[in-house]
Amino acid sequence: MDGSLVNFGHWLQNRPFALAIAGSDWAYPIVQATHFTGLSLWVGTNVAVDLSLLGVGKKSVPPLQLSDALFVWNWIGFGIAVIGGFLLFSVSAETYLSNIAFLTKLGMLIPLGLALHIVIQRKAPMWEKSSQTSSAAKFAGFTELLLWLCVVTAAVLIPYVG
Amino acid sequence: MLLHLCRWLQDNSFIAAINGTSWTAAALEIVHYFSMFVLVGSMVIVDLRVLGLVGRRQDATELADRLFPWIWISFALNFLSGFLMFAGLATSYYRNDIFYDKVAVVLLAIVANIIVQQKMSKWNRLPAMPASAKLLAVVSIGLWIGAIIAGVEVPALTGVG
Repeated sequence: MDGSLVNFGHWLQNRPFALAIAGSDWAYPIVQATHFTGLSLWVGTNVAVDLSLLGVGKKSVPPLQLSDALFVWNWIGFGIAVIGGFLLFSVSAETYLSNIAFLTKLGMLIPLGLALHIVIQRKAPMWEKSSQTSSAAKFAGFTELLLWLCVVTAAVLIPYVG
Repeated sequence: MLLHLCRWLQDNSFIAAINGTSWTAAALEIVHYFSMFVLVGSMVIVDLRVLGLVGRRQDATELADRLFPWIWISFALNFLSGFLMFAGLATSYYRNDIFYDKVAVVLLAIVANIIVQQKMSKWNRLPAMPASAKLLAVVSIGLWIGAIIAGVEVPALTGVG
């Protein structure tokens, strides 16, 4: 593992805020709950739009309308998840930075999921206009669904491989 | 009596096998987390729509009807994976006070969901969402956040799970 990354982890987990979270019985689970609350908004709204792109479920609300309606809370959820996630990470940064499941999650799966998510949000109006691109929309929806499932899988595997 | 049932569950060979093998145990966790995110996220969006904080241009009944199937499918997956994880350590959870709190909060949240689902089209026909509907939506959001907090407190404070 790259020395500077480990050094950074060591520095981060010895910041007063990280030590305070680690040292308190209540702070750590509350930060965990914050991370999960943000993820509920982020993953819940993503899955709703992805399934709608896939054409699964009632057709009453088209994907674009759904994506627009959920847009603000989708990104609020992401913001909360990032803040909670960063605080959880800072508590034992050194360990996380040498964990293959964590590195895969943060270095590969999340960037891919995020990039695809932004593409979907930008392309949705175009996909709506022409029915011929529906296979692209389906593919994007299915891939995004799969990517976030992979992110959760990598997260669950962190203690298993550590 | 209940303790006997817990012991029987925990000693069941299928339940012991599924919790004792690392890849099936991890799979249970993955299903439990992912379905929890979809369940809570979708339900909170419906609650926020009742409060007028999400998609005001979107018809409330249509948005709710779009999300309710995912809410119930994810609840079923969440309950099933949760039950199998509980069964693997049933006698430990039997003595765990915070676990009872978690189950109680989740049950109340589900009751709130059912009421919202049944009343949604009626509320939607009114000129504005009634105050009682908004109150219920706030309570529902609070209960789901409470369920998540109770969920993380079970292992944090009692070491079970």
